[in-house]
Amino acid sequence: MQDVTKTVDTPDGALNILQNISLNVKYQEALVIKGASGSGKTTLLGLMAGLDQITSGEIILLGQPLSEKTEEQRSGIRSGKLGFVFQSFQLVQGATALQNVMLPLELGGETNAAEIALSSLQQVGLEAKKDTMVDLLSGGEQQRVSIARAYAVKPQILFADEPTGNLDAKTGHQIADLMFQLRDQSGTTLILVTHETDLARRGDRQILIESGRLQD
Amino acid sequence: MSGLPKIQSYWLMLIATIITVAIVNTSQLITQRISLLLDRQASELLAADLVVVSGNSFSDEYVRQAIEMGLKVSHTVSLRTAVFIGDDIQLVELKAVDAHYPLRGHLEKSIEIASQKFRVQTGPAIGEVWLDSKLLTLLGSDVELGKSRFAANWLLTYEPDRGGALFNLAPRILMNLEDLASTGLIIPGSRASYRLLFAGEQSQIEQFSTWLTPRLSDDETIQNLQNARPEMRRALERTRQFFALSIVLTLVIAMVAIAITARYTASREAPKVAMLRAFGISQSRLFRFYSWQLGKIWVIATIIGLLVGWFSQFPLQWALDGWFGRELPIVYAIRPYLVAALVGLISLAGFSLPYLVDVIATPPMQVFRHIDTSKSIQRSLLISASAIGAIFLVLIILMQNSKLAVATLAIVLVTALMLPIIFRSMINALLFSRIPTFWMRQYLLSRLKTSSRGAMFVMSGFSLALLSILLIAVVKDELLSSWQTQLPEDIPNYFLINIPTQQVPGIKSFLDQRQIPSSTAYPLVRTRLTHINGAEVEAIEFSNPRAARLLHHTFNISFAKKIPDDNAVVEGQWIDTNSAAAQLSVEQGMAESLDLGIGDVLSFSVAGEVIEVPITSIRSVLWENFKPNFYIIANRQLIEDLPQTWLLSALINDIQKRDLKNLLVQFPSVTFLDITELMARMRGIVKRASIALEFFFIFAVASAFIVLLAAIQTGRQERQIETSLLRALSANTSQLYRINVLEFTLMGVLIGLFSALFASLAGWIISVYFFDIDYQFSAALWGYSLVSAITVLTIAGTLVSRKVYNISPMKILRS
Repeated sequence: MQDVTKTVDTPDGALNILQNISLNVKYQEALVIKGASGSGKTTLLGLMAGLDQITSGEIILLGQPLSEKTEEQRSGIRSGKLGFVFQSFQLVQGATALQNVMLPLELGGETNAAEIALSSLQQVGLEAKKDTMVDLLSGGEQQRVSIARAYAVKPQILFADEPTGNLDAKTGHQIADLMFQLRDQSGTTLILVTHETDLARRGDRQILIESGRLQD
Repeated sequence: MSGLPKIQSYWLMLIATIITVAIVNTSQLITQRISLLLDRQASELLAADLVVVSGNSFSDEYVRQAIEMGLKVSHTVSLRTAVFIGDDIQLVELKAVDAHYPLRGHLEKSIEIASQKFRVQTGPAIGEVWLDSKLLTLLGSDVELGKSRFAANWLLTYEPDRGGALFNLAPRILMNLEDLASTGLIIPGSRASYRLLFAGEQSQIEQFSTWLTPRLSDDETIQNLQNARPEMRRALERTRQFFALSIVLTLVIAMVAIAITARYTASREAPKVAMLRAFGISQSRLFRFYSWQLGKIWVIATIIGLLVGWFSQFPLQWALDGWFGRELPIVYAIRPYLVAALVGLISLAGFSLPYLVDVIATPPMQVFRHIDTSKSIQRSLLISASAIGAIFLVLIILMQNSKLAVATLAIVLVTALMLPIIFRSMINALLFSRIPTFWMRQYLLSRLKTSSRGAMFVMSGFSLALLSILLIAVVKDELLSSWQTQLPEDIPNYFLINIPTQQVPGIKSFLDQRQIPSSTAYPLVRTRLTHINGAEVEAIEFSNPRAARLLHHTFNISFAKKIPDDNAVVEGQWIDTNSAAAQLSVEQGMAESLDLGIGDVLSFSVAGEVIEVPITSIRSVLWENFKPNFYIIANRQLIEDLPQTWLLSALINDIQKRDLKNLLVQFPSVTFLDITELMARMRGIVKRASIALEFFFIFAVASAFIVLLAAIQTGRQERQIETSLLRALSANTSQLYRINVLEFTLMGVLIGLFSALFASLAGWIISVYFFDIDYQFSAALWGYSLVSAITVLTIAGTLVSRKVYNISPMKILRS
C-alpha cells in the first residue's frame, strides 16, 4: 500500500477515514491490525482485500494494482485467491455446513466442490456435522465452518475481521489456534484485525491504527 | 404524540388498506343498488297482488269467488310464436291481455323509439298490437299473427310484469285478449301460459288465498311477491354468491398484503423502538404513539379508498345494467361507506397491531443482540388470533353468515397455515431428489428455505394471492359455461314446436320437398310430477338441492320407438314397443337428483288426469347436442290419447328461410324457435356478465402486486447482506444476476405448481358443492398458473437483482 487515503462524503463534508497509509505485507506473513473502535482498521482490511475503492494512493494486491479497477475487476482478482473470516460468521442460514463451504467453490466453477468442502470441514473437525443446518451449530462451530469455507479455496491471503469477537474466551482461543494452525500448514498469508491483545501477540507483526493514521 | 419519530416504510401498508376499503365500498354500493332496484320492482313484478299461473285455462269458479270477495280480476295468456319481418322469421313472446290489465302498476307506450312515452292503465284495443322496440321495423304496418292481421301503431315501452332482460330473449307483442281466438294460435296442448291476476286489500287477498289454495289443481301455482320470478332469483342468488366469493378472495389478498406490510413495517421499527425504550420511553406511550400513527394511516386510506370505491361502481354498473331491464338506481345510504371504513379499520388493526405490540413488548437487548423472536409461540399465537379474529369480524359484517364465504375462508386459512410446511416439503423433495442438477442447486434451494430472507413470505403471500385469482377465474369460467350451452356448427338452427298431431305429416312433407334436413318428430305431453311411489313430492325431503328445482319444472313426456341419438341406457331395458304395459325411461341426472331407481312408480298430472308409471330404464343424455332431448320418455300406448303437440328440429339455410312464410300460412299454429338468434343474444349477455365477474380481478391483481412487493421488501436487508457476502466471495455481476433470477424462477415454479393444484381442488369443491355445477379439471389452469407465477417472479427477481448489483462487499464487514 502506498499513500492510501479513504475519504467518504458526509452531510458535514468530506471525512477522512484513512490517511496516507503506506504498508507492505510479506508473503506468508501474519500481520495483525490493531486499533480502537472507529479507528479505521476494518476499512483498512477491506481496502487491502479489494472490497472497497480507495480515494487516492495505490494498493498492489497479488501483483495487481487496485486503484483504477472496478468492483467487477477486483472481484476477478479476489476470485479463488482470497479467503475471509468475519466476526459474525456470515454463513448462509438454512443451509448445511457442507453447503456453506461449497459456496465459494461453486462460484469459482469447481466441479468437485462437495469433495473439497468435505475435506475442508475435516480439517476444522466438523466432518460429522456436515449435514447440520448452520443455524443449529454453536458460535464456535459456526466460526469453524467459516474458517473451513475460507480455506476451502486454498487462498493465498486470508483476511480475518475480529474472528473471535463474538465468542467466549475459551472458544476464542480454540478458534485462534485453529486459524494459525491451518495458516502454518498451508503457508497462507494472514491479515487479521483484532483488538484482543492475546490474539494480536500471535502475529508476526502488529500495526496500530489511530484516527485513520498508521502509528509507528 | 410529538417528540417521537414517524413510522417509516408505511406506504405499502397504506396502499393495502386503501385497496381493502375500496373493495368493500364498491361491493357494498353495487349490492345495495341491486337490492334497491329489486325492491322497487317487487311491487310491480306481478302487475297484481296475487297471480295464479297454469298451462291450461282456468275454471270460472275462481273468478266468481274473487269478485264475490271484492277483488279485481284480470286474465292474460302468453305464448311464443313467430312473425315475419320481410323474409325473416322472428320469434316473439305474444301476450294477450284483457281490458283490466294491469291491476297494479301501469303500461307505457310511444309512437317512435325516442318520442314521448304515454302512461296508460289499459292494454291494446281490439284489432291492434303494441310492439317491443326490437320490432321497430314492423311499426306502422299490419302484423300477421296466425290467421289474423293487426294494426301495429304503438311501441310498448314498459310493462310491469316483464321481468329482467336476461330472461326475455324474444321481443314482446301485446294484444287484446279478445283477438287471441281469431289467430288460431291456441290449440289443445299448446304451450301457452294462462295467468289470472287478482288485486285488492291485503285482508281480502289473504282471505281469497286461503280459499283458493286447497282448490288448486296440480297444474296451477300461486305467485305472490315472495315467490315470484324464481328463475330470476336463482340466477341472482348465484351471481350474489359469486360476488361474495370474489369479494372474500380479493379481501383475503388485500388482508395478506396488510399483514405482510405490517410485519415489514414492524421489523423496520424494531431498532428505533428498542432505542426509545432504552432511553426510558414507556411501553404505554409507545403504544399510544403507534395507535395514533395507525389511526392516521386509516383516515387517509379510508378517504382515498372510499373515493376509489365510489368511482369503481360505475364500470360495474355498466356491466350489470342489461341484466335487470333498467338502470340501477343511485344509492344515497351511508351504510356502504361506514361498512367499508369499519372493515378497513378492523383489517388494519387486526393485522398490524399485534406486530407493533410485539415490537414494543420485545426487550431492547433482544433487538440489540439480534435475537430472533419470530419463532416464539406466544408471539405466533397473538398474531394468528388477532388475524383470524379480524377476518371473522369482517365476515360477519359483510357476509351475514354466507356458507360459501365461510367455507372459502376456511379453505384459505387452512391453505395459509399449510403453506410454509408444503413449500418446505417441496424444497426438501427437490434437495434430495435425483432430478437433473443445476448450477448452485444446493445453495439456491437453501436460500428459499431461509425464513429470515423472506423467501417463504414471498412464496406464501404470492401463492395465496395467485390461488385466489385462479379460484375467481376457475369458478367464473365454470359458472359462465354452465349458463351457456355449447353449440356445434352443424346443429339444427330451428325448432318447430306447437305442431298439432294432424299437421305433423304435412309439415314433414313440406320440409322434405324443400330438402330441409329435419329430425324425427316427437310428441310433447305437458305434465307435472306429483307423487313418487305414492308419496307426494312436496312432502319428500331430497338431499340434492337440484331436486327442488326439478320439481318446479313442467315435464314434457315424449315417446320414441328407438332410443334417441346420443342417449344410452345405463340401467334397465329400453322401452319394449310391442308391450302395452306402462314403461318409463328417466334421464340419469334427474334419477340421481330425485333418488329414483328401476321399479319406482312416478305419478304425473296431465290436464287433470293422473297417470302412474314404473321406471323401466335410466338413460344418459348428451344435452349439449341441441337435438330434442327429454327427461322422461314413455311408451306410446301410455300417452297417445293425452293432449299433445309435436316438436321437431330442422337445419334451414338463408335461402330456404324465404319459404317459411308459406309454411306459416299453411300451419299457423306452429311456432318457429330460431336457436341461432337466441344463442347469439345469450352469448352477448354472458359476455357482459363475464365483464362484471372479471371486475374484481382488478382489485385482486392490485392486491397481489402489493403482496409481492411487500414480501420482497421484507427480505431486502438480508438479501443485500447476502449479496455483499457473495461479492466478498468473488461472485461477479453475471453470477449475482443468475443467482437472483434462478432463485425467483424456482419460487415461480413452486408457487405455480402449488396454486394450480389448490385452485383445482378448491374450484372443484366450490363448483360442485356450492354452485351445483359440473367441474372440468383443466390443464390450461396449470399452464396459466405456472407461466404467470414464473413470469411475474422472474421479472421481480430481475428488478430486485438490478438494485443489489451495486452493493459494496464492504457491507458484509460492516453488518
